[in-house]
Amino acid sequence: MSARFEFRGLVAGYGGTTILRGIAGAVAAGEVLFVLGRNGVGKSTLMKALMGFLPCREGAVRLDGREIGGLAPPERRRAGITYCPQERAVFDELSVADNLFLTAPPGAAARLAPLAERFPILARRREQRAGTLSGGEKKILSFVRGAIEDHSLVLLDEPTEGVQAENIERMEAVVREQCAAGTAFVVVEQNLAMAERLADRWLVLDKGQVVAEGSGRPERAAIIAHIQV
Amino acid sequence: MDPLVTTQFLNIAFGIATLAVLALGLAIVFGLLGVLNIAHGELVMAGAYAAWIVQSAGLPYALAVPLAMLACGLLGWLIEAGLIRPLYARPFDTLLATWGLSLLLRKTAEAIWGLGYKSVALPLPGTVDVLGAAYPRYRLMLIVLCLAGVAALAAWFAKSGAGTRIKAMVANPDLAQAVGIRTGRLARNAFVAGCALAGLGGVMVAPLTPVHPFMGIDYILESFFVLVVGGLGSVAGLVAGAGIIGGLGSLVSAVADRTAGYTAVLVIAILFLWLRPRGLLARA
Ligand SMILES: Nc1ncnc2c1ncn2[C@@H]1O[C@H](COP(=O)(O)OP(=O)(O)OP(=O)(O)O)[C@@H](O)[C@H]1O
Ligand SMILES: [Mg+2]
Repeated sequence: MSARFEFRGLVAGYGGTTILRGIAGAVAAGEVLFVLGRNGVGKSTLMKALMGFLPCREGAVRLDGREIGGLAPPERRRAGITYCPQERAVFDELSVADNLFLTAPPGAAARLAPLAERFPILARRREQRAGTLSGGEKKILSFVRGAIEDHSLVLLDEPTEGVQAENIERMEAVVREQCAAGTAFVVVEQNLAMAERLADRWLVLDKGQVVAEGSGRPERAAIIAHIQV
Repeated sequence: MDPLVTTQFLNIAFGIATLAVLALGLAIVFGLLGVLNIAHGELVMAGAYAAWIVQSAGLPYALAVPLAMLACGLLGWLIEAGLIRPLYARPFDTLLATWGLSLLLRKTAEAIWGLGYKSVALPLPGTVDVLGAAYPRYRLMLIVLCLAGVAALAAWFAKSGAGTRIKAMVANPDLAQAVGIRTGRLARNAFVAGCALAGLGGVMVAPLTPVHPFMGIDYILESFFVLVVGGLGSVAGLVAGAGIIGGLGSLVSAVADRTAGYTAVLVIAILFLWLRPRGLLARA
């Protein structure tokens, strides 16, 4: 595989505590890498480290062959990474429209049109404050904001938390379409079924390390022991 | 209307309008960065000295505006890099450091210009007839310019992309960075703008008050009270706070005396801190 995005030997944590103890992974253009694991094992910490929110004490992060491990989040976004966080995923104080277009690159409005058809809530609530949306609706807004950025890599941290099944299906369709256009995804999910439908690669974290990994759809039997509490 | 009433009414409007501008810089810095810059009053003082320098050199008074804003903006840039950024997320240390800085700036002014009062002549003398009352032309101009300036800023903050990015940064700094906003740079620019506004405030008030090294103390106190009463994060709050503090101060001073005015302002500020600590119009 020629990797669009790869990370190796990542060691990172908060203040004095170490959460990630040497994590590696890679994803090619047009592929989806799923990051699985129990609550609190460090999945979101990995995503924050990949976006540049946590300094990595060790390790390397490469996007299209370029070392980006030293870049701050706004610079990583300029390098072509979209990040949709698990928590506080939208600007509650801003309108839905401002959330979508605040820093959107050229052409975002045209890319929004087909997405707005799939997720009509966005058009209906366009001028309302995003804080008035439900948790699942905020996740949809965050996902669509990321989708219209049209970047080479998208990091999604639990994009389906609180989202209704029909909207999860629509999100999956968008991911498939963007993969076909060459975008790479790294997705953190509790929802194993989604990984079984979408994953090209997967890895399971436990205690800050990769305890299982593979390519293709994950076999439930192979990973269930690592995921069950 | 009785000319005396008109004059008092205009004085109250003047108190509110100038206080809103003086507090504006402090509000920007406090509201956006969470930094209470105790040295803000000393920047007003520096702006007032800039006005005095320009006038003493025989130059047109309007030149003091860019000079003071540049000088205070530059000072702000240095303060941000030297004090504010290294102490990021340590509000108490920042408070102490900017307090130390305010002493330093006062002593520096004293060393350069001495303790004596400097007086700045009115750049726009004479009076205008307003509903039968002869009101000083310069004060009237300040009322109009301050209100127009605050209204323009409010409109810019509400409508412009930069205003929206600032709101985004305040509401959710991590997400702001994730969508590409360079929050460090935006915060620095906001701090510099706040300091430049303090310089502008100094130029405005210089002809109306004795210019001396300790003049900043009054302004930082009054501006702080405006924020206490109005709450942070909205221009409406700022105007409401300036309205209550400036209006009350001028009103009580008019019917009783200046000391009673100060006392009334202090009492109101304490009541607010006690009963409504987030201010009149703060966001929930
Ligand atoms: N800001 C923080 N400061 C200190 N510790 C933190 C911080 N955020 C997370 N942690 C700790 O790091 C560990 C990993 O947290 P993380 O959020 O990465 O887990 P997660 O796998 O995403 O869990 P979940 O499935 O619940 O989202 C946890 O023990 C958590 O308590
Ligand atoms: Mg998480």
